[in-house]
Amino acid sequence: MIRERETKTQELIRRFKYNKSAVFGLILILFLVFIAIFADFIAPNDPTPSPPELENSLKPGFWSNEGLEGYPLGTDMLGRCILSRIIFGARISLTVGFIAVGIASILGIIIGVTAGYFGKWIDSLLMRIVDIIFSFPALLLAIVIVATIGQGLDKAMIAIGIVYSPQMARIMRGSVLYIKEMEYIEAQKAIGSKNLRIIFRHVIPNSLAPVIVYGTLMMASAILDAAALGFLGLGAQPPTPEWGAMLSESRLYIVSGAWWAATFPGIAIILAVLGLNLLGDGLRDILDPRLKT
Amino acid sequence: MVNKYYILTIGICLTLIAASFSGCVEEEAEEMVLIFAMAGDADKLDPADVTDGESISRTDNIFESLVEYTEGGTDIQPALATSWEVSNDGLDITFNLRKNVKFHDGTDFNADAVVFSFERQYNTSNPYHDYGEWAYWSYMYYDIDYVEKINDYKIIIHLKNSNAAIMTSLAMFTVAIVSPTNAEKWGEDAFKHPVGTGPFKFVEWIKDDHITVEANENYWRARPTLDKIIFRVIEDPSARLLAIQAGEIHGMEYPDPSSFDLIKSDSDLQLLTQAGMNVGYLAMNTGYGYYDENENGVQDSDENWVETPGYFEPLTNKLVRKAINYAIDKNSIIDNLYKGTAIVAKNGMPPFMLGYNDDIVDYSYDPDMAKDLLEEAGYPNGFNTTLWVMPVSRPYMFDPPKIAEAIQSYLADVNINVELYQIDWSTYLEETENGNHPMCLLGWTGDNGDPDNFMRVLYGSDSASIGTAGNVAFYNNSLVQEKFTAALQSYDVTERAKLYEEAQVLIHEDAPFVYLAHATQNMVFLSNVKGYVLNPTERKFFYPVEIE
Repeated sequence: MIRERETKTQELIRRFKYNKSAVFGLILILFLVFIAIFADFIAPNDPTPSPPELENSLKPGFWSNEGLEGYPLGTDMLGRCILSRIIFGARISLTVGFIAVGIASILGIIIGVTAGYFGKWIDSLLMRIVDIIFSFPALLLAIVIVATIGQGLDKAMIAIGIVYSPQMARIMRGSVLYIKEMEYIEAQKAIGSKNLRIIFRHVIPNSLAPVIVYGTLMMASAILDAAALGFLGLGAQPPTPEWGAMLSESRLYIVSGAWWAATFPGIAIILAVLGLNLLGDGLRDILDPRLKT
Repeated sequence: MVNKYYILTIGICLTLIAASFSGCVEEEAEEMVLIFAMAGDADKLDPADVTDGESISRTDNIFESLVEYTEGGTDIQPALATSWEVSNDGLDITFNLRKNVKFHDGTDFNADAVVFSFERQYNTSNPYHDYGEWAYWSYMYYDIDYVEKINDYKIIIHLKNSNAAIMTSLAMFTVAIVSPTNAEKWGEDAFKHPVGTGPFKFVEWIKDDHITVEANENYWRARPTLDKIIFRVIEDPSARLLAIQAGEIHGMEYPDPSSFDLIKSDSDLQLLTQAGMNVGYLAMNTGYGYYDENENGVQDSDENWVETPGYFEPLTNKLVRKAINYAIDKNSIIDNLYKGTAIVAKNGMPPFMLGYNDDIVDYSYDPDMAKDLLEEAGYPNGFNTTLWVMPVSRPYMFDPPKIAEAIQSYLADVNINVELYQIDWSTYLEETENGNHPMCLLGWTGDNGDPDNFMRVLYGSDSASIGTAGNVAFYNNSLVQEKFTAALQSYDVTERAKLYEEAQVLIHEDAPFVYLAHATQNMVFLSNVKGYVLNPTERKFFYPVEIE
């Protein structure tokens, strides 16, 4: 069967559409991005009212008669609307994921390209350093970094970025090693192009595909780790409506019956992580040349 | 292969049968073991060298003092001393000691043990003095000059000044009598191997897991009914509740108020509740403290007032401190966060105490007034500051981070932006005593039922010593300190009450604290645990307890 000629992009879109779960992931993420951007208009209540409305403490949501009008998912211990906090939390979690992965990518690309392109002792040195960082469990290392540079959401993003950079560096180095041997790079060298020009014009653009794929998957882990740091009190500081911190603040009240305060932030984390994982898997399927059918 | 499995199966069956038999044998002996869940581990097991309730709850069952409080009260009754006599000038107290009492290690209890237990705390040349910090000695006992042995069963405590609170203070854990032979045996590690005369003997201490004590067969009163107590550490309040619901433990401290309905509706559980002798507050660092170079607990003329590390300009202004008082809705915090397990505090000690000034009108919740005061003070646009928040449940504040968050959003309403700062409990105490904070949450549980134990320790200028401060607002009003000193030296109850009442008026006007709550003390036991009595001092004595 002869197919009409299609551009590279059209081909990618076609193959992406064919992947149901990836499309589902994309929709989920677009939805979260949408509510994150328009949180101020969507959220029914102020996520951090001042002065606090303590009299609304731990009221159930729409499923109960004791619930409050206008608080569909109930309230937390301090009487704050859980739905509104989750909506504003989306903004925080996505920002954290994006910036942390951004930091990891920049560091990873620098290390990976340097090691892969120049090879020899530079490669060995950088990769051994990467190996050392790799030998620590990611979250543990993030905790150590946060403990050193201080608590807070911005610090947590930096810590997670640093922790994920070796992974990025390895991926980048792998694809640089492959690209470096290509004929067009040899051609560039033959006409006397400078190293920097070759790296920025040819090597990096051609090795970005795996970075995008793994970056998406990594964003899921980054959100999870930021939530974990928030849960441990090292990430977002109160009253920031960060999902992990919300979960940790509210788990105390599960036993006494107020399950909603901890459950919904948990579901929000699951949805974001699931969406990014599905999307990442889908991107890998279409972008990885080795998986091409 | 099949044969192998057969043998294995038979082996397992035999083991199980054997195990079930041995189980039966144990049950026949039927040891009465009480497992009690505490919120934190002990710091040290030397009663003279600790200030935290978690340590004291354990040592109180191992050690005894010369005198003790009546069950559920703060009146004095004989313990290791059988009788005592106070001289006419109030400066010498003679104690007759109980005979035929032995420490758990077999050492005789006598005057030497008493002199040893006191002397190691105040006598800097005593070889055992270096093994401890003896914080409480400077808080409460610096009026003691020395302790003198008359004969094996008679001692005299000599005072430097008259001190109206000294008798009740002598029933405290700080002056519990420890075995001198044991101290000699272990040296600086004696706090890990406590030996006293009390109803229970120390067995083992697994750090952050549990401390076990067993009945003292030779106790000078009747042997305790319980054979063993295991103090388990379960930090999370919901985990403690789950453990008692599952019957894994027999009792627990600090239940979360949001679970009270659940506990009351469970017929297997009982909730013990009583008004607590405590106060929880927000302290505002008024700026200046002194270094107590000679460790005498008093600000001497050569010890100058200097800025504390947490000096913060706006809080040195009385108007700002009043504004913060007006900005916080205490009633709402008590109703909705304490869930009614506390009463609103307007003074720095609980209402049932001597000298409580009930005429004081508390700062109401009035954010507009707060804004006006801030403007008057020169901060019309507010300011940014940091609030130090305890990481653990305390008797006067079951969930400090939540309360801090509520305060944060009340203050945001009057344009004071507060960042919350948390650090582990022992560092927290160290840093607040050092005055590193602009504002901090803290509180106090009374030790001896005397107002001096609240007033002078928490609000006196002498307690504003950088590094060992009891007065973490570093509140310095010489008039107030004079009244406290006079009240401590007077034996006239009406005069003392009047002095304390006057001092509270001055403190209220200077507003160095936002007094938040006097919390009830709450403990949960399984319904078959009988005989436990709550004490106003919140000390935990398991001697009368039995399991039915």
